[in-house]
Amino acid sequence: MKEHCSHRTDCLKMIQLILDGEATEQQLARLKVNLESCKPCIEMYHLEKEVKELLTKRMEKKCCPDQLVATIKSKILSFS
Amino acid sequence: MATIQEVMSDTPTRDDDQLLPDGDPIDQPSADTPARGYTDEQKYRIFNKEFMPHIDSMYNFAFRLTTDEDDANDLVQDTYLKAFRFISSFEQGTNAKAWLFRILKNSFINDYRKKSKEPAKVDYQDVETTYNSEDAEAEHTVDLRAESVSDLIGDEVATALNSLPVDFRTVIILCDIEGFTYEEMAKILDIPIGTVRSRLHRARNLLKEKLRDYASSMGYNEENEE
Ligand SMILES: [Zn+2]
Repeated sequence: MKEHCSHRTDCLKMIQLILDGEATEQQLARLKVNLESCKPCIEMYHLEKEVKELLTKRMEKKCCPDQLVATIKSKILSFS
Repeated sequence: MATIQEVMSDTPTRDDDQLLPDGDPIDQPSADTPARGYTDEQKYRIFNKEFMPHIDSMYNFAFRLTTDEDDANDLVQDTYLKAFRFISSFEQGTNAKAWLFRILKNSFINDYRKKSKEPAKVDYQDVETTYNSEDAEAEHTVDLRAESVSDLIGDEVATALNSLPVDFRTVIILCDIEGFTYEEMAKILDIPIGTVRSRLHRARNLLKEKLRDYASSMGYNEENEE
């Protein structure tokens, strides 16, 4: 297991592409190898995944107030 | 034939966030866009079936950009009225969500950005330059662990996100909260995909730095490092 990753920044960029669903097959294969052999890559992967999940799952989603929906609909109707 | 009132009163499913097939989201009719001769009924139907289902996502985006409920209200209303006015430049069945997000983002830049309550006015170019060096990036990738992040709560994440310059905040919202692809983001933001990629990378490094500050101020790091 590697304790130091010599391409940290590149690995991090690749990890983000993978988590965003924008990676190539080649990059996916490379990540698989890194996750078995490189400790910093494993840590970066878990941190990036955790931060992304914080944003998708733990942040409150604001809903549009019903009043605004009604206002928009009535303004649109008045255009006709 | 349904009346306009009937079409408009047909409440759309507001949790339907599915992306429609990709299209070119434009916010102004332009020379190379043939104006589509929609009838009034078609206009209302498109508005109701293709635009209204995205209103919660739009409101959420507006709120994350302006960080203010009144401004978010105004911005969403302006966006939907603009969308209706320029509906002939929208091609039915294409990516309505991306098209609407692009209008909202442009309206925000033109009308709301100046008065938005951004704490310290940060010049985007400065930030871009500061975080451009690999040294800065390397430094920002360390010192934060998944375990300390997992203790953070939604409010802390929101505060950290709000403290980012708006261009960085925007890419994070579009990608991580709204799930747009890089290609869709490039169209919404009018920037090349390469720029989307690098801006997102820098935005995340900045966000992690903010989260690290939170984590350590809450004592999460100390706890985990022992
Ligand atoms: Zn590595």
